Amino acid sequence: MNIATSAGNNRADADLADVARVLAGDAQAFEGIVRRWQGPLVNMAWRYCRDRGRAEDMAQEAFMRAWRGLSLWRRESSFSTWLFALAANVYRTELKRFPTETLPLEAAPEPAGLATQHNELAAQLSHDAVRRAVLALPLRYREPVILFYFHEMDVAAASRTLGMPEGTLKARLSRARALLRQRFPRLEEERGARKVFTLESGKEAAR
Amino acid sequence: MNRVKTNLSEAERARIDTEIEVILAGEEELMPSSGFAASVMDRVRQEAALPAPIPFPWMKAIPILLLAGGGIIWSAVELVRLRVPGLGLTALGQSAQSWLTTPLPPLSTVQVRSLEQAGWVALALGISLFSWLLSRQLAGRGGLL
Repeated sequence: MNIATSAGNNRADADLADVARVLAGDAQAFEGIVRRWQGPLVNMAWRYCRDRGRAEDMAQEAFMRAWRGLSLWRRESSFSTWLFALAANVYRTELKRFPTETLPLEAAPEPAGLATQHNELAAQLSHDAVRRAVLALPLRYREPVILFYFHEMDVAAASRTLGMPEGTLKARLSRARALLRQRFPRLEEERGARKVFTLESGKEAAR
Repeated sequence: MNRVKTNLSEAERARIDTEIEVILAGEEELMPSSGFAASVMDRVRQEAALPAPIPFPWMKAIPILLLAGGGIIWSAVELVRLRVPGLGLTALGQSAQSWLTTPLPPLSTVQVRSLEQAGWVALALGISLFSWLLSRQLAGRGGLL
């Protein structure tokens, strides 16, 4: 068993224990859940809205919903899947109520070519433009992109979280990438080895 | 809008896809602010300190709702059947009446009259029971006994 799996199991065990304590009436035990999952939930919210303050408000609301609905977790799926699905629901509803101000995808600025003297800054701006363009995708394509590239999720985990078949998720990811590709046809090629997440395997692979 | 229309080759398309994947997968993690967990727990403690919400009294409400529903349906049927003038139900009454009467076996005039009277009696009883329960509820004495 590798370290990541072991850490994941420990976290799952801790979640189970905390949930049992909360359901037995120990409200303080919820703090363990909050401390373990605050990073992922805030980051997930950040990817939905790209506004730090709002992301924390949305994550807090997700935790409160989890607190109120903890008894509804049936243990058929892992606690993290249940929590992420609940959070995705909260964020989706929140963004429907108060949509983020985004440019249409066509109006998203295309990153300029890398300036030789400011490579890092230009690359950073270019990456930022692509990430912001995700917000301009229609929600049905945006959510699969947010979840697939987030927090060690693969196709299976993202599809469970969104409650859709894996095939549908793959198709939507593919369509989302096509839309982004259309918008950014001149992304600069970066040199050097780096990690990519391959859709086919749904696992991290070195390139 | 200066959208660029390009016919990308397969290789170019794959390269851009990889580039997009790298960018999206390589996003740095955001650290929650230091007081985040504490503020969530404050809200949790506040909610935990509140008394448990009073459950909706379904056991009391169901018979009342059934009676009220039955009364309303019976009234609607009677209104349609009698085609009360001035309610604009004549056209509706004709179609509804044919639907209501078709599947029923033929009844004698006496039987029809008895059923009609029984219906009115049931409606009156239902309304009486409802008002009795309502008055008990308002007086702070719930339940049937």
